[in-house]
Amino acid sequence: MSMPTPTSGVIHDIGYRHYDGERRGRSYIRRSLYIDSLKGAYGLGRSARSKVMPMILFAVMCLPAGVIVTITAVTNANELVGDYPSYVLNLQLVVLIFIASQAPVTVSRDLRFRVMSLYLSRPLERVDYVIAKYTAMASALFVLTAAPLTIMFVGALIVGLPITEQIPDYLRAMAGAVLISLMLGGIGLVIAAITPRRGFAVAAIITVLLVLAGVQATLQEIASAESLDIAPYLGLLSPFTLVMGVQSSLLGAPNPLPSPPGATGALLFSAAALLIIAGSYAILLLRYRRVSVS
Amino acid sequence: MILDNVSRWFGNVVAVNDVTMSVGPGVTGLLGPNGAGKSTVINMMAGFLAPSAGTVTLDDEVVWRNEEIYRRIGLVPEREGMYDTVSAWQFVLANAKLHRLPDSEAAAQKALNTVQMSDVKDRDIATFSKGMKQRIKIATALVHDPQVLLLDEPFNGMDPRQRIQLMDLLHTMGDGGRTILFSSHILEEVEQIAGNIQVLVAGRHAASGDFRDIRRLMTERPHQYWIRSDNDRALASAIIAEQSASSVELVADSRGGSGYSTTGARDTTAALHVEATDVSRFVRVLPQLAARHGIRLYEVSPADESLESVFSYLVTR
Amino acid sequence: MNAIVAQLTARSLLGRRRVLLLLLLPGVLLLLCGAVRLLAGSDTTVSIGVLSSFALGTVVPLLGLIAGAGSIGPEIDDGSIVYLMSKPLSRHSIVHSKLAVAVAVVTVVAAVPTLLAGFVMSGTEASLAVGYAIGAFVAGLAYCALFVLLAVITRNAVVVGLIYVLIWESLVGSFVPGAQVLSIQQWALAITEKVVGSSAGTLGLSSAVSFGTGVVLLAVIVIGCTWYAGARLRKLRLTGNE
Repeated sequence: MSMPTPTSGVIHDIGYRHYDGERRGRSYIRRSLYIDSLKGAYGLGRSARSKVMPMILFAVMCLPAGVIVTITAVTNANELVGDYPSYVLNLQLVVLIFIASQAPVTVSRDLRFRVMSLYLSRPLERVDYVIAKYTAMASALFVLTAAPLTIMFVGALIVGLPITEQIPDYLRAMAGAVLISLMLGGIGLVIAAITPRRGFAVAAIITVLLVLAGVQATLQEIASAESLDIAPYLGLLSPFTLVMGVQSSLLGAPNPLPSPPGATGALLFSAAALLIIAGSYAILLLRYRRVSVS
Repeated sequence: MILDNVSRWFGNVVAVNDVTMSVGPGVTGLLGPNGAGKSTVINMMAGFLAPSAGTVTLDDEVVWRNEEIYRRIGLVPEREGMYDTVSAWQFVLANAKLHRLPDSEAAAQKALNTVQMSDVKDRDIATFSKGMKQRIKIATALVHDPQVLLLDEPFNGMDPRQRIQLMDLLHTMGDGGRTILFSSHILEEVEQIAGNIQVLVAGRHAASGDFRDIRRLMTERPHQYWIRSDNDRALASAIIAEQSASSVELVADSRGGSGYSTTGARDTTAALHVEATDVSRFVRVLPQLAARHGIRLYEVSPADESLESVFSYLVTR
Repeated sequence: MNAIVAQLTARSLLGRRRVLLLLLLPGVLLLLCGAVRLLAGSDTTVSIGVLSSFALGTVVPLLGLIAGAGSIGPEIDDGSIVYLMSKPLSRHSIVHSKLAVAVAVVTVVAAVPTLLAGFVMSGTEASLAVGYAIGAFVAGLAYCALFVLLAVITRNAVVVGLIYVLIWESLVGSFVPGAQVLSIQQWALAITEKVVGSSAGTLGLSSAVSFGTGVVLLAVIVIGCTWYAGARLRKLRLTGNE
């Protein structure tokens, strides 16, 4: 048996200092979480492995833009060989894989390792968490979709094409990029927030989005072949075609698919888009309200 | 189980560095700070990791890629993941059946009884607390009555009562001739049940054997004693005059703590803290000193012959 | 093949959320086919289009991914596979049992609904339904084997599998003719073509590979992936979290 320490209690000075300075509020925390999640979606600030997928996808997304600019330059064409508004539609698979693999990275990890209690024990409300994550995911998608458009735009200017011709479609496509980012970000996060298992979340997100795309494509083909009235409205079924519809009916962009007619078409499509965005946000709030902190 | 010059590296990181040890019947504690390589060693012993160099054998049979060896080895893993969707009984029974035991049901029941989980055996594992899951893990490792039992941090998440039960269980099994190896940070438990300890520090095998023997081998560090007597100051000067101690400290012991005087009452007197460089001489000389100066000795106890001090010495060496 | 392993796999694979996802796909397939029938009547060309691209091209690979990767991925991820590995059980046996469960699931949620979908769209005409059902079954078998292997090799099996299915089979396959020879979809289509028989050509159903090639390649993939998965499982490292 050994005797206890002889002196009565020693407090060691390990350098702990009380902090009396300024404490930044909720908006700062929200902004920090936003920046951190945005960087995390591209693997910045994380291990090398987590950078591989998003960086490859980003490169694949921008590659055709580069090719388009190069071909335009080489062939001395009068306008860009490719077109702004349908760029994202054509590369939808890349965007789908991005949201499917990065939405779980953003949200499922926190659930799996049960760190929600750590977040919420700070002056961060659940609403702030949702806002930060949603805007971060949407911003990550926006970077992905806007970059190639911007590459084409800048490339066109460098090649010498008149800016007045480029701007309208470029802006239309950018608006579309904003819309698709918000929509896919919402859908992706809603599905990812349901399960802490990352692999399952990826499968679920891709399933839902591919099924929507597949159904839309199939029905569209048949409806167009049969020239059915419903044909232009089938775009509502899948996020990408929905955005195309908004772009063309509301903003006047060219559309490879049948465009929703008139004011009703524009209204319907825009309303649908907004509904999806607002609905995703609401569902996320509900989901995180019910997350336990213990 | 014998590890012979075993090393394991992951890229540039050497997790286990040229370790040779032999683990036999009885309870052996594998000790080491975090990152010392304990889990790596246990994984290699359990055949889940190949040594980058050297061999790991059980009764002269290589463990790696040898599925039949699992009839003789039971492993209690550290990670919590388990088949959550089934009940405890179904899970332990499944484990028994996977071992192709002649009477799986009896074995499963016996294992559950041993860990005292029979009364909740029909509840789903997902509803269990961490300590209960730990006990189910142990049941799955015992179900086939293995000769060797490997436990990776088994006391994690257990409340004191469960810890004592597990210690008793391991002690009994060790006495029964089984080879039991467990890794732990909790020195008190290791001290109490492990006859033999293996210390790993930064991947190297720092010491093995009975911890008291190890202490005795640590000759470069002076032994420390607490002495309480009826005249500390006189004794202090006498000891210092003598050659076998390097330092004597008069220490006020106002708390008392677990120190008792011979009357059994809590004492608030001072004590002497002695660092003896020549232990054998010191222990011979001390009673003579006390007798010569007419000082009555109340207590003489070693200050650092605990596993904790051995451990901290080995770790910071 | 081990019944206990199969039972445990089935219990963990068919959890509530996964079942929902597994049933969602065939449900949508059948609804879609119903809609197509309503819109376009009983048209074999259309049926072939839907069955080839949506059923065989989207539904079956996704189900193969969910079932295949889900039969072993989560257990490797949370470490509970150690309970299977610390038994005197051959690793190949573990893989076979899990694969069997995955294939059984895929048969129920992919092959059978494809059969029904075929009936819904064109009745028993030109034995399309049967042909595509068989094609769906062999494709499902191949996808399960492939994704079980991927799940053993990497933690990101689902994403890698997706890239294969989406990018390789759809995109690359459309632009690079040679790539079509290495597509599970095409091999399954070859078998379907054979079952449908001589009318296949007139209906616009044709695969990039011949029947013989398709069968051989399918067999190679199934056997190869199953065997390699067992071999890799022997060397599986159970340490670490992410």
